[in-house]
Amino acid sequence: MSELTLLVLRLGFLILMWAFVFMVVYALRSDLFGTRVRKLPQQGTTETFPSTPLPAPAAAAPPLASVTEPVRAQPHASGTTPRRLVITSGPKEGMEIELPAEQLTIGRSSESGLVIRDDYTSTHHARLMLWNDEWVIQDLDSTNGTFLDGTRVTLPTPVPVGSTVTIGTTSFELRR
Amino acid sequence: MTAPHTTAIGRPDAGGGAPITTTIRIRLRTPARLRNLELLLLLVALGVGASAIALVDLGALGELDGAMLTLAALPAGLVLVLHVVERVVAPEGDPFVVPIATALTGLGIAMIHRLDIAEGYEGWSAYAVRQAVWATIAIVLAITGLVLVRNHRVLQRYRYIAMFLGILLLLLPVVPVIGETGANADVWVRIGFFSFQPGEFAKILLAVFFAGYLVTARDSLSMVGRSFLGLRLPRARDLGPILVVWVLSMGVIVIQKDLGTALLYFGLFLVMLYVATGRGSWILIGLALFAAGGWLATRMLPYVQGRFANWLDAFNPEIYDREGGSYQLVQGIFGLADGGLIGTGLGQGRPDIVPLAESDYIIASLGEELGLIGLFAILSLYLIFVARGFRIGVAGQDDFGRLLAVGLSFVVGLQVFIVIGGVTRIIPLTGLTTPFLAAGGSSLVANWIIVALLLRLSDAVRQQPHAVVESGGAA
Repeated sequence: MSELTLLVLRLGFLILMWAFVFMVVYALRSDLFGTRVRKLPQQGTTETFPSTPLPAPAAAAPPLASVTEPVRAQPHASGTTPRRLVITSGPKEGMEIELPAEQLTIGRSSESGLVIRDDYTSTHHARLMLWNDEWVIQDLDSTNGTFLDGTRVTLPTPVPVGSTVTIGTTSFELRR
Repeated sequence: MTAPHTTAIGRPDAGGGAPITTTIRIRLRTPARLRNLELLLLLVALGVGASAIALVDLGALGELDGAMLTLAALPAGLVLVLHVVERVVAPEGDPFVVPIATALTGLGIAMIHRLDIAEGYEGWSAYAVRQAVWATIAIVLAITGLVLVRNHRVLQRYRYIAMFLGILLLLLPVVPVIGETGANADVWVRIGFFSFQPGEFAKILLAVFFAGYLVTARDSLSMVGRSFLGLRLPRARDLGPILVVWVLSMGVIVIQKDLGTALLYFGLFLVMLYVATGRGSWILIGLALFAAGGWLATRMLPYVQGRFANWLDAFNPEIYDREGGSYQLVQGIFGLADGGLIGTGLGQGRPDIVPLAESDYIIASLGEELGLIGLFAILSLYLIFVARGFRIGVAGQDDFGRLLAVGLSFVVGLQVFIVIGGVTRIIPLTGLTTPFLAAGGSSLVANWIIVALLLRLSDAVRQQPHAVVESGGAA
């Protein structure tokens, strides 16, 4: 093996090593892996999450729906299940998110479905669960409590449409 | 804190409907994208390793002796098996950690093979043969770990067991029958013909313990205490654990004569404490404690004194020539200088002059034959590896996983700094292994287990929050 060939091979090896490094860096650049926390516009705009279109007839036909639904003797549960959560007061007043399929966790932890970061919210503060087509709020032993229309929630309690749930400085209500 | 989260609640109405427990969502969005990227990078990484081994043969022997290449195909094949396993059990795992670990392991095997040729070792006494076998075992264990640990939160349950096992492993080398006195530090354990360095495994166990402990304890550590000069000083009772870890690492220095390991564990704990609480005061307290301990050690312990003298006055002929003096350090630096910018070429330098060139000094050997350019490529790979670990920590969904990812990747980064800093005379030299590169089964196995854990943690980064309400005034 001649000197020259070895020199070329050895320079080639250094280039190969750096090519590997640059391939990794290039792939990192286009990598989508990472925090996908969606920050919302600061004031008063309305957005839906995720970006699936709202089912239009749901809001239009509550009386019909109350007839076709399995009969339950709940004064507030008549009509279709709420599909949206609207923040009525607090830093993100007016923000609207679409309720997920079965549960929405609320808390300071970024694991939560609705992350509320203020001084009054616990890491895992509360959760909304769908029980028999009805949203129920459960307080998860939070320090400062979860309030439904001003009363502190101790047991899982159904959340009627239009009543206010307060967590820290944020209040929200469920809408259809 | 998470307990109420898992409390089962009776259904108000037992009649039909979907179960309360969350159903498993099957995600159909292109899950293979990350894995395909990984496969591409993996093939290039294997190419780097294979061409390094081939170049060593060409440079040192003048001909292509295929024996080592054939043997290295064993771990290479298993890395591909690991890749296939990932496609099944961790499809969204990080695509960079495995290729980087593979490239570094391959470079390590090539360099050790080169030193074997220089020293005339063959067959089973050749370090490279054993390193390739250890790499195989390490990757098999990584696959096993990835398959067995399907949810990293399980590890949180075993945090105290991890602590006891970790401390036990740390203390094993001083047990009379199985402990073995090495060249300087007593970090080896020998059972029969099988010897290993338990400290390497202890770092993983302690990272698990620290993460589990800090998740529960951080509120009292960060919230309570008096403010003093802009620093929030913790309560005396919260200082307990940091003092325990400090005493433990000082014990390691005194009993095992191992400054590097002590620095590694203490640094790991400090950083995890800082990440968990966000309080700079902990770092200051910790550094002050370590400085005080280190200062005492230089006063009281002759071997620490010797290390400092070697570091500060390496080129003094008296220190260079004496027993346990700076001969090794200076030879390593001469080697690096000989390598220059582009190196002497694989198989064409004289890295074997340095004692322990295949383990503690592998970075000096690589620097000699690959030059500054090659060394910087290796350092970039470490940098990306550690950065990926931090990224997994940042994107993590649960606090335990976040802390664990930061801790595991930081411990790799700190270890690289301690070893390479020691070899290049930035800090006093202490014997630690260079992750993935250095000859040594325990180190290789432990670091591949870290790879498996990072894969598991990154795969768990899936369910993202829907919306964030950030209060303007609050911190």
